[in-house]
Amino acid sequence: SSSSVFVVRKDQDIYVQTLRKLFNESHGIFIGLQRSEEEFAGKSRKTQLVQVSKNYRSVIRACMEDMHQAAVSARDPALHSQYSTQVSILSAMELIWNLCEILFVEAAVAGPLLLRLLDWVRLHVCDVDNMVREVLSSENPSKHELFWNVVDVFVLQGRMDEARHLLSKEASANPTSVHMCRILDDLMKKMPVPSLGNTQTLTEMELKWQHWHEECQRYLQDRTFASNSHMESICKILLGDENAILEKKDLMTTWYHFLVTRLLYSHPTVKPMELRFYAQACMDLFLGGESSPEPLDIILMAAFEFEMHQVIKECSIALSNWWFVAHLTDLLDHCKLLQSHNLYFGSNMREFLLLEYASGLFSHHSLWQQGVDYFDHCPEYGRVYLELHIERIPLNTEQKALKVLRICEQRQMHEQVRSICKIMAMKALRNNRLGSALSWSIRAKDAAFATLISDRFLKDYCEKGCFSDLDLIDNLGPSMLLSDRLTFLGKYREFHRLYGEKRFSEAAKLLLMLMTAHIAPCSFWMTLLTDALPLLEQKEVIFSAEQTYELMRCLEDLTAGKSDKQKFQDDDVETMKVEMLRLALARNLARVIVKEGTLEGS
Amino acid sequence: QVSVINTVDTSHEDMIHDAQMDYYGTRLATCSSDRSVKIFDVRNGGQILIADLRGHEGPVWQVAWAHPMYGNILASCSYDRKVIIWKEENGTWEKTYEYTGHDSSVNSVCWAPHDYGLILACGSSDGAISLLSYTGDGQWEVKKISNAHTIGCNAVSWAPAVVPGSLIEQPSGQKPNYIKRFASGGCDNLVKIWKEEDGQWKEEQKLEAHSDWVRDVAWAPSIGLPTSTIASCSQDGRVFIWTCDDASGNSWSPKLLHKFTDVVWHVSWSITANILAVSGGDNKVTLWKESVDGLWACISDVNKGQGGVSAVTEGQQNEQ
Repeated sequence: SSSSVFVVRKDQDIYVQTLRKLFNESHGIFIGLQRSEEEFAGKSRKTQLVQVSKNYRSVIRACMEDMHQAAVSARDPALHSQYSTQVSILSAMELIWNLCEILFVEAAVAGPLLLRLLDWVRLHVCDVDNMVREVLSSENPSKHELFWNVVDVFVLQGRMDEARHLLSKEASANPTSVHMCRILDDLMKKMPVPSLGNTQTLTEMELKWQHWHEECQRYLQDRTFASNSHMESICKILLGDENAILEKKDLMTTWYHFLVTRLLYSHPTVKPMELRFYAQACMDLFLGGESSPEPLDIILMAAFEFEMHQVIKECSIALSNWWFVAHLTDLLDHCKLLQSHNLYFGSNMREFLLLEYASGLFSHHSLWQQGVDYFDHCPEYGRVYLELHIERIPLNTEQKALKVLRICEQRQMHEQVRSICKIMAMKALRNNRLGSALSWSIRAKDAAFATLISDRFLKDYCEKGCFSDLDLIDNLGPSMLLSDRLTFLGKYREFHRLYGEKRFSEAAKLLLMLMTAHIAPCSFWMTLLTDALPLLEQKEVIFSAEQTYELMRCLEDLTAGKSDKQKFQDDDVETMKVEMLRLALARNLARVIVKEGTLEGS
Repeated sequence: QVSVINTVDTSHEDMIHDAQMDYYGTRLATCSSDRSVKIFDVRNGGQILIADLRGHEGPVWQVAWAHPMYGNILASCSYDRKVIIWKEENGTWEKTYEYTGHDSSVNSVCWAPHDYGLILACGSSDGAISLLSYTGDGQWEVKKISNAHTIGCNAVSWAPAVVPGSLIEQPSGQKPNYIKRFASGGCDNLVKIWKEEDGQWKEEQKLEAHSDWVRDVAWAPSIGLPTSTIASCSQDGRVFIWTCDDASGNSWSPKLLHKFTDVVWHVSWSITANILAVSGGDNKVTLWKESVDGLWACISDVNKGQGGVSAVTEGQQNEQ
């Protein structure tokens, strides 16, 4: 309808309650990483960074768990669907991050590289878990129709011990296959794998592998497994036969699983830089022209090609939030992996992404505080971004205002401090909270506003005869000097206090000084003189002769200063006041002359 | 992706010409051909009518919120040649000042950076631009730039406050020497930049690129770079991004953001100037961002409503 206004907002994950843990915990990891000193060089530093990477991943997984629980318990199908989608996205994020950790952060070398990739695949191919469980928990696993599928799964994932365990069950259940099982078991047992420690060199391993490979070859050629198609196929897999492996497509479900399996059985000592060739070939073979690569495939491929910037770019496009790319890029930057080629506006990639992420946090009523920390760690534009964003935080409560203020003060953001204090002062004034308004304008060092509010206080006093917010005025201290009017207010209140404490001569002195030192505005002199009346009428003489003369002079200045017109407008009350004052002053003068003229003791 | 999170039914009886969020995104001011200005509380996805301000005698074209440090103040301008400044006092909104110094429709109002004080620029179809400065005690001082644009001025937008040599901290209490500038767009197809020199406003630059009336100009917030950026949009369907690299403000060069199929009415910058919102007669609001290689790309499309989208504004926070 034409009378509607639409309020739109960017879809951001920060509004998803269940992701809150992700933001909170990763914030902690981020800060820890920024503060971690680079005291360790080389290997220790790398270990440290790998640990940070693992921490991030465990946060993602924890969030995935929560999300999964939420999905399971959601009764509303739309909500269930939303949570399930979220789980898939988190799973993809963890998959990508894990691969980046292996290739970039840990920078696994040939040998360990394969082992890491195997772990990676095992962790992420869950589609077969149910099947595995079903077979293993059945009475006679080897009789289960899916038995060989499960054996295949173990072989494809390089889980030799588990495969051998199942084979033994087959051997005991089926006497005819005992001989074959034993041989296959032996081959599996003997299969050389790269070691993590320095127990063998790559060359040694390759040599052993070559011999083993030849042995497998012999058994195949001798048709040892000819009577059991399953075992023959396994033997082919062990030999890295592409077609044999591809036949098990459904058990692998993804091209990257296919890739790792192929590498395991054809080139276990693959070097990082060789990955790209295998990856591309495997993806093409696996997808086989039936389907085209999805965004996730493109990202993983970019990782295998070691195109870090491409990974970041593709992730930025595919994901609906900056969280992932901001934190991952920051980590990669700490690994000193990102070339610092300057982007168009001079900032680098890491900062660009962190700025985007943190800016997004500022539209959230509490996550903005995390945003502050992220801006702090953006050396080029962090500060100005913070200045621009922090001014827009609604200062609904005094507490929030103080929180924002503290942040600004800690960072010497003086303009923002002044601005916030002025805003709060104005707000307080609008709500007639004079004390609060005064407090804020003092904090803002806003002399003009302080004067305005002091005038209000004084006006209120004249009308009501008493002060509000005495605590505040009594404890102004040096901030009293911010404005003349404020000083007057403070001193005037002090006068009242002295009078209340019956410290009459001090009060008298102060009162006089307020006029003679021109601290009091002329408009207030009449009030001050009227305040002097009770002091003049005390039994004891308070004002000295000199002081009395001064007072008289003040009164005369005041009345003389009035134009004829003003004198005409003065009502009876005014005239009477003046008369009373003159009388009181004269009487005081008389008494004090006598007093001062009298010698002590006489 | 961008989604609608709130639909405010304003109950305006005629076309809405402007909708502006306040500084914090908690209040929304709207104005319409029905001559009224309305203010809504839009926190937490709600919509509570706070005020229905009557005072204009013709369609109201624009509204503008002043900086909160001056209180809750809203300016509006109308076909009735008037500029009205409204203020919230003791919980109620009232007219606090009315300016009638223009000879025809006032099309645009824009508050200056708060650092300069409370100053409002107004652009009118009589070709003049007025600058109203609050001097205290309910008094406003007026400066007028006559014949700023022949035929008429459609838009005004202030440059962010930047102090020359701002890296040096000014001793507190001392007012820094700001160089005040603002941009205007007119029916002469031009974007002009005005600079205050010795208390007088002078035309500093003339930016030519549009082939029809300039409908809106928006000076981007500063992120501390020596460059200045202005967005302009026009009846000719084009949106240009003007940048000036040197601090002296001498050479401005335009970059075409996009040519739309219909008139573009409004352009508006995000807080850190990295996103530009564009709205126009083609019924869409699009968001544009400068990519790392300097090209502008459309990052989002919000297709809503019948009839042209006439205004777009950026607020920040939403309460949960």
